[in-house]
Amino acid sequence: MQLESILNKYFGYSNFRPGQKEVIENVLQGQDVIALLPTGMGKSLCYQLPGYIFDKPVLIISPLLSLMQDQVDQMKQFKEKRVIALNSFLNPAQKRTTIHYLHNYRFIFISPEMLLQEHVQQKLNSMELSLIVVDEAHCISQWGFDFRPDYLRIGQVIGKVNRPPILALSATATTKVLRDIESYLNMDGPYKFIHSVDRPNIHLGKMLFQGREDKIDWIMDHVSKSAGPGIIYTQSRSKTESLSGRLLQAGISCAAYHGGMDPLDRQFIQQQFIDGSLEWIVATNAFGMGVHKQNVRQVIHESLPSNMANYMQEIGRAGRDGKDSLAILLYAEGDEEFAKFVGIDDYPVDAHVDSYLSYRSRNEQPSSMIQNGEISETAFRVLDYWMNQLQPAEVRQQLTSMKYEKMRAVEEVMELIDTNKCMREKLVHYFGQTLDNTPNDCCQCCGMDYGKIIHRRENDATYPHLLNWKDRIEILLLGNS
Amino acid sequence: MIFHHILLQIFHNFNQERSISAPFHLLRGKRSGQTVQDVGIYQLHQYFGILPKLTRTKYNEELSTLIENQSLIVKDDGFYELTRNADEQLKKMQKLSLDGWHYRGNEHIYFARLSLIIQTLSHQRAGQMTFVPIQKDEQVQQWAKGFLKANQYKGGQLQPRLLNEIHSSLEQTNVEESGKNILILRLSGYGSSGLTWQQIGFQENMNDIDLQVIYIATLHNWMNIILANSEYFPLLHQMADGLRIKNPLTGSAFHSAELFNNGHSIEEISKIRNLKLSTIEDHIVELAMNEPHFKLEQFVSTVDIKKVFTAVDDYNTRKLKVLHEVVPHLTYFQLRLVLARGEQDAT
Repeated sequence: MQLESILNKYFGYSNFRPGQKEVIENVLQGQDVIALLPTGMGKSLCYQLPGYIFDKPVLIISPLLSLMQDQVDQMKQFKEKRVIALNSFLNPAQKRTTIHYLHNYRFIFISPEMLLQEHVQQKLNSMELSLIVVDEAHCISQWGFDFRPDYLRIGQVIGKVNRPPILALSATATTKVLRDIESYLNMDGPYKFIHSVDRPNIHLGKMLFQGREDKIDWIMDHVSKSAGPGIIYTQSRSKTESLSGRLLQAGISCAAYHGGMDPLDRQFIQQQFIDGSLEWIVATNAFGMGVHKQNVRQVIHESLPSNMANYMQEIGRAGRDGKDSLAILLYAEGDEEFAKFVGIDDYPVDAHVDSYLSYRSRNEQPSSMIQNGEISETAFRVLDYWMNQLQPAEVRQQLTSMKYEKMRAVEEVMELIDTNKCMREKLVHYFGQTLDNTPNDCCQCCGMDYGKIIHRRENDATYPHLLNWKDRIEILLLGNS
Repeated sequence: MIFHHILLQIFHNFNQERSISAPFHLLRGKRSGQTVQDVGIYQLHQYFGILPKLTRTKYNEELSTLIENQSLIVKDDGFYELTRNADEQLKKMQKLSLDGWHYRGNEHIYFARLSLIIQTLSHQRAGQMTFVPIQKDEQVQQWAKGFLKANQYKGGQLQPRLLNEIHSSLEQTNVEESGKNILILRLSGYGSSGLTWQQIGFQENMNDIDLQVIYIATLHNWMNIILANSEYFPLLHQMADGLRIKNPLTGSAFHSAELFNNGHSIEEISKIRNLKLSTIEDHIVELAMNEPHFKLEQFVSTVDIKKVFTAVDDYNTRKLKVLHEVVPHLTYFQLRLVLARGEQDAT
């Protein structure tokens, strides 16, 4: 069958997006592939479609539980029943059953922690896989912004010989990270599809201020005059709440979103944002994953992102429909210090190395450091990995250089603020690519007019007429008629 | 405001005999012997475990407000005094009834089931069966699936039946309308998302913690109505069935209680279970609190029970140390038993 007709049959699309077909063809020929496709360009189709051609399961290694859950939900929505997520959400009984019947699934999502477990490996060794997908593959590189030590072990687990092809996927990887992906996964002369990271329909603005409060004043003014839908990224949970509170007071339909929220609240916000009843979201970087909204017109950064890759990913949530959108980076003096502090805040330091050693010498599990509140779980994972790879003195060195690296990453973002040359070019260069041509109203430095890109705000937010409970439950169950 | 009233009520019940931390542990539902026994001694069943995620920071903030508005004085030793101002407020305040002791957070299971079932039925009615389930918990999803199948949801008859049950059961639930509104605003359906706490708070002009408390109280009262009239609300009854705990004893206490009910003495239980005598005594006190048919007289004579309550009245205290001085021939264990039973055996 033609790939196009399979695409139509299972996904209802008539054409591939750029890159998808090349990636899929190489995967089908048994070739290892690295695909760098920007967010929203249909990465997951690159393994989902082959899944319908192969008659053996596809294994997808995914770093984030929420992402995994979202993928599974989406596939189930498309009526795919043979999909399962093998992660720490399962209770022991569910886990046993799942592993026992693992070979019956078409798509198996798995977290790296789970992949490292012995009985999981035994099961995987006993069955034949058609393809191994490493999603968010940049997590494998310590130079990536989201290093996951467990990812480094994937290469050891899947081995070199007699293995199915590997498809490594990422949206944001520099040349350095691409090299790491290839070598740590022991890939065999992989076919590489590198899509340009540039998104010409996202216009890049920036605004510089003296004080922090000035940024907030500007946002209040800007948001009340220009149309959304939009996302405002900020650094702290409390800030999402205070800023959204002020916007609500000003009559703008908006909501705060952060990782510590009631899970039901998060569902409501996503639902409202997608159905259009919510115009703005004030969020920490926890927002974005699994939000499939095509017509986001603005992304405003109230605070400096901790690195270029994060920035790219966050502004990439604008304009998925291909229409003009605006990303505005706000800066007030001293913001970089705050961003650095946030960047290294959740990172192991020398004192943790000492503590780790003393747990070891007392014959205690170093992981008790987490329970004893000495260290966060993510920081411990990094520490634990290096302590098992290197001598303590080397670990200290390693941590210092990584900390330095994180601070440098903030400086790189600062270049966007400091430059008076093209911001788009800076951004694209960071990923080791070159920019062929610049769109009109390219960026603040090339010269741009916000008014040409986004619309004026038309109507004041109309609050949903609050029904009393009797009417509302009736509408939910019986509809409006 | 509502939460402040609850705090004042709890402080009032504690009769200035516990530290300012005691309400915190009570609200979070701490499973320690002290907190659990205090529930019986000071009659605090309503409030047990209604806010399991309450943080110490938040609690301290709320306390500061009570201190600032001169309802509460905190003493150096960590104990407190209620002011006349607090007494005034207590007299005026509207009673909000809760049933924390018997639901223990299970009300959230009920609501999760309900919300997923409503979401599904709402989409089914609209002919749109692909949607992202609002509840992620696998067990809740399985339960809802089973419920929908067992009640033949495909025929379209389930929606009006469920609507009727919700209308009439909530109608009978004796809580403020705002509580019912909040609850229904937390449901989602086809083309109509639920509202977040922040949104509801903004529209109802209420703070987060008050919203939570009203929401919990509404659920408790509603579930009590459903469970007491199961024949009228067969669908809702299925969702709420088994969630109100009949025997709230915790793991270890439960084992001791079983042995005790099988006729073993406290000493024997201590030997069988290889636990300290005082631990078993704690378990028996817990049993006395929770088992309506517990015969107090097997440990304390009727005359002595009366003496204890007379002392409670005369000295206006439930402090064991004071009571022990008044009725010195009773052990601390006997005193705790009597207090745990409350007034029900006094007459």
